[in-house]
Amino acid sequence: MREIIGRYGTALAGLALIVFFVVFAPNFATTMNVVNVLKDTSFLAILALGFALAFTVAELDLSIAEMASLSAVVCGWLVQLQYPPLVAVLAALSVGALLGGLNGYGVTVLRIPSLIMTLGTAAIAKGFAFMITQGVAFVGRWPVSFTGLARGYTFGIPNLVLWLTGVTLFAWGLVKWTRTGAHMVATGEADEAARLSGIATGKMKRIGLLLSGILAAITAVLLAANLSSAAPNMAGDYLLYAIAAVLLGMTMFEPGKPNVPGTVFAALVLKVLGNGLVLLGAPYYVQDIVLGVIIIGSVAFSASVMKKAAFKV
Amino acid sequence: MRLSDALCELVQAMTDTTTPILSLRGIGKAYGPVVAVREVDLDIFAGEVVAICGDNGAGKSSLIKVVSGAEEATSGTLQMRGKEVVFASPHDALSHGVATIYQDLALAPRLSIAQNVFMGSELTRPMLLPFLRVLDKKKMAQAARGFLKQLSVTVEDMDRPVERLSGGQRQAVAISRALRWKAEIIIMDEPTAALGVKETALVLDLIRKLKADGRTVLLISHNMRDVVALADRVVIMGAGRKYVDRPLGDLTADDLSHMIMAGNARAA
Repeated sequence: MREIIGRYGTALAGLALIVFFVVFAPNFATTMNVVNVLKDTSFLAILALGFALAFTVAELDLSIAEMASLSAVVCGWLVQLQYPPLVAVLAALSVGALLGGLNGYGVTVLRIPSLIMTLGTAAIAKGFAFMITQGVAFVGRWPVSFTGLARGYTFGIPNLVLWLTGVTLFAWGLVKWTRTGAHMVATGEADEAARLSGIATGKMKRIGLLLSGILAAITAVLLAANLSSAAPNMAGDYLLYAIAAVLLGMTMFEPGKPNVPGTVFAALVLKVLGNGLVLLGAPYYVQDIVLGVIIIGSVAFSASVMKKAAFKV
Repeated sequence: MRLSDALCELVQAMTDTTTPILSLRGIGKAYGPVVAVREVDLDIFAGEVVAICGDNGAGKSSLIKVVSGAEEATSGTLQMRGKEVVFASPHDALSHGVATIYQDLALAPRLSIAQNVFMGSELTRPMLLPFLRVLDKKKMAQAARGFLKQLSVTVEDMDRPVERLSGGQRQAVAISRALRWKAEIIIMDEPTAALGVKETALVLDLIRKLKADGRTVLLISHNMRDVVALADRVVIMGAGRKYVDRPLGDLTADDLSHMIMAGNARAA
């Protein structure tokens, strides 16, 4: 019973929260609101999954939001210049991959701690985003073939939800079912033990940070497509939420470990919480306070779970 | 080369007791101006347990790091069955059949037994398409259980995190990983350090099983009673040099301690 509570306790609490808003928050359970929450969750969850993959190899990627902003700006710029959407999307993905690769190079070759390296990359990305836009967002009537990536529906399901499903399956399959994923997990759990077992730990860290950059770029493309605009700071607010999603996710399913289902469910809980509080008329600053409490509480919970596991012989 | 010739060569190599399985020639290791290992020559023969002893700073660990591929030698060469080899990484050593079990066991405490045993060499199976391979978790769990059984250690749940095992069971998991790599030579660095009496007895038993199985064991230990209980041959190092290399014979733990102290005095 204790194991079940440890594994699913916060997930059940999240479900209880959803039920609470269904009952008490006006208009929460309407189709339009539910679809909006799910769509909003997609951006956060995809970005957070990138952070989670970097965290899986025990590296912090604090550049995800700025990488996403720059990728969105590059994408929006090219769409604005009437390049084919495919070119714009590929350019955005290249920016994410380039910056993720730069993070990996800095961390594994130059031996710069990821906290510092990714902060540096974030500053560089932010600078370039402002340089390209000159501080003014790209806005326009963009082609449906581009905006449809986020706003469209396939078989009645919002494309954003399909993107999230695809990315989630990819990340889960990678970590749980592939040799590369097993090596990433081993690298994150015990770097030296993994190296002595013949695992190329540097390569695994580079893969984790590269994927983080690519997922930031995918988030960027979807954000730009959804809003038909690209601003130099458009993903800035997502950083703390993404970190909170990963940390809250670490309190469920596989307590103490960054995990894919936990991250996605936690992203949903955070978005439900934000939406529900707005519908209940809570002041805007309450969300920030709640976010801070979740971040601290999640880490405290994960740490206690790890301690318990360590002494349970 | 024809298949029959290759097989003959393999069988000859496996049964040849005159050619060392591993030879160290003039191995030196320096960390900047500090010389940790000086000109060590050592031959290891198949199936023997060789204890490498010496005081702290004698150069044992540095020598082992070179043999395990964790660090490259500054000078000298390594040979496996008479052929020169270069161990630029632990993976190189493992793929030549040399596995090392470090004092801290180099395990990932929060990962399961099966994940630890197969760390770096996971089994996969095809899924849907021949080129799409996924982890074969069932097979890995079965094989991990088999390795532990071979060592007479029974643990039912292969998904149990290693941090929930006893010291002796963890040692068995580390040895199982060496078995997984089909290691011919297993280097064990202070295998009984920090273990209680019962756990130590279990680990000594594990080493005897490895020997009975025909594997070669390089044992680094400060515990002379363990050395006397297990070793066929003893090598004593001091100040980075090898100055004793002889069969254990009727040497006692006290004799070995005196030899180490004498070596220290000579090094000083």
